[in-house]
Formats: sequence, structure tokens, C-alpha cells
Amino acid sequence: MEDTLNDASSLAIELAPARQRRPMLEIAGLCKSFGALEVLRDVSVVVSPGEVVVVIGPSGSGKTTLLRCINLLEEYERGTIAVDGEPIGYRTDGRSGRRARMSEREIARARERIGMVFQSFNLFPHMNVLQNIVAAPVRVRRIERRQAEARARELLAMVGLSDKVAEYPIRLSGGQQQRVAIARALAMDPKIMLFDEVTSALDPELVGEVLAAMQQLAGDGMTMVVVTHEMSFARDIADRILFIDGGVIVEEGKPDQLLFAPQTERVGAFLKRYNDRYRI
Amino acid sequence: MKELGPLIHSFWYLLRGAGMTVLMATSAVVPATLLGVLLALLHVFGGWLLRSAILGYLFLIRGIPLLVLLTFVYYLMPLTGIDLPPFWGVVLVISLYYAAFVSEVFRAGILSLPQAQWDAARSLGMTRRLMLQIVVLPQALRLSAPPYVSLCVSLVKATSLVSIVGLWELTMAPFQIFIGAAAIYFCICYTLALYGRHLERRVLLGH
Repeated sequence: MEDTLNDASSLAIELAPARQRRPMLEIAGLCKSFGALEVLRDVSVVVSPGEVVVVIGPSGSGKTTLLRCINLLEEYERGTIAVDGEPIGYRTDGRSGRRARMSEREIARARERIGMVFQSFNLFPHMNVLQNIVAAPVRVRRIERRQAEARARELLAMVGLSDKVAEYPIRLSGGQQQRVAIARALAMDPKIMLFDEVTSALDPELVGEVLAAMQQLAGDGMTMVVVTHEMSFARDIADRILFIDGGVIVEEGKPDQLLFAPQTERVGAFLKRYNDRYRI
Repeated sequence: MKELGPLIHSFWYLLRGAGMTVLMATSAVVPATLLGVLLALLHVFGGWLLRSAILGYLFLIRGIPLLVLLTFVYYLMPLTGIDLPPFWGVVLVISLYYAAFVSEVFRAGILSLPQAQWDAARSLGMTRRLMLQIVVLPQALRLSAPPYVSLCVSLVKATSLVSIVGLWELTMAPFQIFIGAAAIYFCICYTLALYGRHLERRVLLGH
């Protein structure tokens, strides 16, 4: 009786919607070089839906490049990347094993659902806040303008900038610009959000407001890959931390484990240097 | 006072010439600008063949004085059997000539846009065409506005060279009138420069 039950339940798991178990992001064997310099060497990462993965590591370790490969702002030489099961960038022919780059149009389509926030905000200076946010939803996703604007106002309210709708980026502080950038990325209704050292260019007193917006986003169940130097933030927000150095994942683990009981000397040394400087 | 006599007598004559200058300059500035933007885009985004063709064109145009080109066209055109009225012949030459400079101004504008703007546009799923249309060109055109306006001023003055090819124009007047002519050229160009400054101010506000 019990056996049959077990059989039945294992069958049920087999038949359960693949969506639920399918990783939101799957990077396998990623290799990337800038000329002779190998920046990423056989990197593999799997991120589940709703998971927040924080990537840390010294400067030049390849963490930003890893992030930029995910939406193909950087080309990569080997490996595969898939977001929600859809490959991005290159397709490998199953039979011949030949690797072919997708067309620009296909790549653009794939990027639609991958949100990215940059270190230097990168808002469009000739558009006001609202225009910055609705430009892509209206022109790329063909959402009706009124609807897109309503959504933009919701998002601005979420990041606490309802009063800045008609402002131009230059009149905003760095923290405000970065929150607009987050709203702009969210307006595309992304499946995953990539954050590339989004607080590094900010004055210390403006960091908190940006981190709070990200924290809220994580709480809402957004899948996130976050490259950061903010260790205490990493500890608070991460489900998992990856430590990258020399283009390879040196260690990964739960925040408390990796930050307070690292298994490798390399991570220990890095954290010690960090602690000596910042005292988390 | 006596020396000013010819100037006063020829006031209406000068004014008609000024009208001709404005007509010729506006007829040339539109094609020069359109062609210039097109060349700039092809220069930045075209393949190597297109790029070298444009480089050759720029090299040629920059190396030859406008006066020489005009004379060339005036004396050689009839031999080729192409019968273009002198006015349009001159407009054609000036357009082609200034398109080269306009294209360099716009190319500089496109290239001076930070890579980060492209990254942001791409990360939002924009195709190259859409990026150009709503992110790159609006900014590049603003960045190019000041040097572009000074090019336009220079284009207006270039129409004076037309006297060489025998077209009735402002400078086809007796030598005494040159001072008055210069004053009129100055007024036209100064207005343009003022407008350019106004544009710059608006651009700065937009940023």
C-alpha cells in the first residue's frame, strides 16, 4: 500500500508542471576572454525562481562580466545561458554541435524580460523620469501609453519618488536616479533582475534608500542576481552568496556560512581585508 | 559721406542680393544636413567598404577649396551635357560640400555618447533602430548643435563665392558696396549664431 502511494507520488512529481522546478537562470560552462585575458573560466550557476544570489569578489574577478553576459551586453566564447528555459545569445545545434549566434532581433526580445540596473544609473538624460520609465514598455513591448504611465506611477510610488514624475535626471540625486533606474527596469515586467554594483557610485548617505528598494523587491519574490561590495547588505538579502575570483567560483554558500565561516582560505583572506577596512 | 553714395544708391540692390543669399543658403542647408546625418550614420554603423568610401569622400571634399569646386562645376557641367540652372548648380555643390562637414559634426556627436547609454538601451530590449531613434540620435543631435550652427553660418557666407560662377548675387556688386554687403552677411550670420545660442540654452535645460 505504502509502496503504491510512493510510486504514485513520485509520478506526480514527475508530472508536476515543469515550470515550477525549472531554474530561472541557468549558466553552464561559461567561458569569456578579453583577448588573451580569460575573465570567466567554466562558470556554472543555477538560480531558482524567487532566489536572490549575491556575487562578491575582488575587483577584476569577473563578477560584472558574468552579469553582463547574462543579457549579452558581453559576448561569450563558450557555455550556455538560459533565462526561464530560453537560451540567450547562442544556440547549439543538437546534432552538429555547431554554435550559432542568435539574430539581433531575437537577442533584443530575450533582453526584454531581463532587467538590469547599472553602477552609473544610465538614465536617458534627454527624457524626464516618466519618459525614461515608459519608453521601453511603449516602444518595445507595445503596451498602451496610458497603461504604461499608470504602471510607471505605481513603480515610482514603490521606490518613493511619486513627486519626481516630470523631473529630468540631472535634477535628481544619485540615489533618486538609481531608484528611477530600478523602476525603469521593473516597468518591463522582468523575470529576473540584475544589479551591477548599483550603490558603488553613491554617496554613503544615499546608499540606504537604494538598498531598501532592492530589499523590498526581494521580499516581493523577484529573482535577483546582485553584484555588490556591500557585505552587510549581502548578508541581509542573499539566499546564497557566490565568491568569484580569477574568473572561477571559488566558494558558494548561505550568507552566514560564507561570510562567517568560509571554507576556503581565499574567501577568508578577502573577508578579513574587508572587515579590517569597513567593520561590518 | 560722398564715399557712401554708391552704398545708399544700391540699398535695394543689396537687399535683393540678401534675399538671394537667404534663398540659396536655405536651399543648400536642408540637403546638406540630411545627407550629412545619413553619411554620419553610415560612417559609424556601415561596413568597412561603406566606411572607406565615405572616408574617401571626406578626404576629397576637405582637400579642395569650395571655390575650386564651384568653378569646376560651372565650366565642366556644360561639357557633360547636364543642363542645370546656375542657381541649382551652386546649391548642389554647396550641399555636397557642406554635407561632408555636417557628417563629421554629427559623427562626433554620436561617438561622444557614453557607451553606458547604449548598454541601458540594449538592456531594455531595444533594437538598434529604436535605440538610434529614441536614445542616440536625440542626444547626438543636441551635442552636435553648437558646431552645427557655426557650420550653417559658414555655409551662408560660402554662398558669396557664387559670384565667381557668374550668378547674380549679393557680391556681384561694384567694389564700393562690399562694406554694405559685409554688413548684411554679418546680420544674417549673427542672427543664426544667436539662434544657436538659444538652442544651446534649451539643450542645457533639457539635460
